[in-house]
Amino acid sequence: MKGRAEIREFVRSLLANSGDEGALADSDSLLFSGRLQSIDAVEIVVFLEENFGIDFAKIGFDKERIDSIDAIYALTQSVAKS
Amino acid sequence: MVTPSGPSSAKANRLAEFRLIPRIETFPVVVSFAQTSLGKVVLLAAFGLGMRYFLPDLPSVLTLMLPLALITFLPEYRRFVLAISPIAIVAMQSANDLLTLGLTLAVIALGIFLYWCAMRWPQSRFGQRPVASLLIGFTALILLARAATPRSWPHLILWGLVGALASYLWFIAYALSDRNSKPSEELTLELAAFRPLWGSTNTPFPKGAAYLRRIEAKNPEQLAVFQLKGLKLLVWAILLAVLQGLWYRFFHGYLRIPMPDQALTMSVQGTPAAWHMRWACQILAYFELIFTFSIFGHRIIAVCRMAGFNALRNTYRPLSATTIMEFFNRFYYYFKELLVDFFFYPAFLRYWKRHKRIRMIFATFAAAFFGNSLYHLMRDWQIVRDGGLWKAIASYQVLFFYNAFLAAGLCVSQLRKRGPKPRGFVRAHLLPAVGVGFFYCILNVFDSDERMYPLVEHLKYLAGLFFIHF
Repeated sequence: MKGRAEIREFVRSLLANSGDEGALADSDSLLFSGRLQSIDAVEIVVFLEENFGIDFAKIGFDKERIDSIDAIYALTQSVAKS
Repeated sequence: MVTPSGPSSAKANRLAEFRLIPRIETFPVVVSFAQTSLGKVVLLAAFGLGMRYFLPDLPSVLTLMLPLALITFLPEYRRFVLAISPIAIVAMQSANDLLTLGLTLAVIALGIFLYWCAMRWPQSRFGQRPVASLLIGFTALILLARAATPRSWPHLILWGLVGALASYLWFIAYALSDRNSKPSEELTLELAAFRPLWGSTNTPFPKGAAYLRRIEAKNPEQLAVFQLKGLKLLVWAILLAVLQGLWYRFFHGYLRIPMPDQALTMSVQGTPAAWHMRWACQILAYFELIFTFSIFGHRIIAVCRMAGFNALRNTYRPLSATTIMEFFNRFYYYFKELLVDFFFYPAFLRYWKRHKRIRMIFATFAAAFFGNSLYHLMRDWQIVRDGGLWKAIASYQVLFFYNAFLAAGLCVSQLRKRGPKPRGFVRAHLLPAVGVGFFYCILNVFDSDERMYPLVEHLKYLAGLFFIHF
């Protein structure tokens, strides 16, 4: 099972792609703060589908659930439990 | 900061860091002052004075500033004031037209009722797909109104209802999509987000209550910072408006370069403007659209920030975009978000999951072509009322082409394989930005709200720009 470190690394790579090399805490907002864009949210969705088997069509999509590393990790945990 | 890209990148960074209006929200003295009673009065007075530039008279300024003053001095009542203000403003504006007032209040009540239904029965068909149900319901209402006998009471009421619902449609859609976010039982913020105090187009600025909840000031210091950012943005909007006035006077008054609609009309009438004038017209139109969208977006977001919400700008440095997709994101952010939230994501999450490219193309067309077209058709319901559904659809041939062209450009922009990022300001920033500008200059040939001429005339005009005549 992949975990928080992989998620952090992936998010960092997304930020780096858009030229954002700033500090990043696990609780920092990614989408609502404007650091990542909608197209990056798509990348996160694909990452979660491929690596964690999450199907957003089934569980419903809410940007808040992928807005920070903490939120993404919590989502992967809740899906793993269910 | 000098990056490995060398001195030219350092220059670009310095350019990016330059601020015409100082970042007053980062000055501790200013932030502290803005939290005092005197500071709040000064801030409100300065903001009111700035808004006077855009609003027609003093009563309009006072109508806006009174709720902002209440929010500033009594931030604990912010949500209540924001929930009441738009309803009070509608009541004042429609006091002489009881039918419009009644229908508008009915639509607001309907929005809240639908929101409650989606929360109450999440597993129902409506609860599963509330936004799709809303759009289908609105379409059915238009068809019903179209079927009513002209100049009868049902005709009057149904079309009045269509008009009222059309202006609240996407606000209700955001409320319905908020049903998943926590805490969603807070109704005052949902009400505040229905055609909010700070204004909007038919596109909700800045999205719905869930977003507002995330960006709301949590303490006096944050409120002061957000309000200072709001004041700055308003000043920026005024500067742009002044510059826009000078721009129009110089290019269209002094140099007599035609406006896009004029250039097209001249072309249709067989007396086209000189080739260089048509190109100048297209290039100017690209910048003029940026002016227009920046000014109205900044004004709305400035008021939103004064009300205590740190909303992102609607238009943010569009000229720095190096891809078509990035420009689309930077140019009209909240409309792009609407298309992404209600059309792109639903399509992307459900269909073509095993085919990456097809999945992206399908979702992009669902948003930029289908969603964009549907948005405009629903916005311009009067055309359906006056000419019928099929005539309305036929009159949108240019818009459909525009949307298809845009969607194709966005697909290419997203799917294009990128090599290593080029170095240097010219190759990394300037040339890609010029390429993006060129795409939108061409696209703007089809950007006409007037619907005066068929698609073929627009195509002829475009061909003429490249010395092709048919």
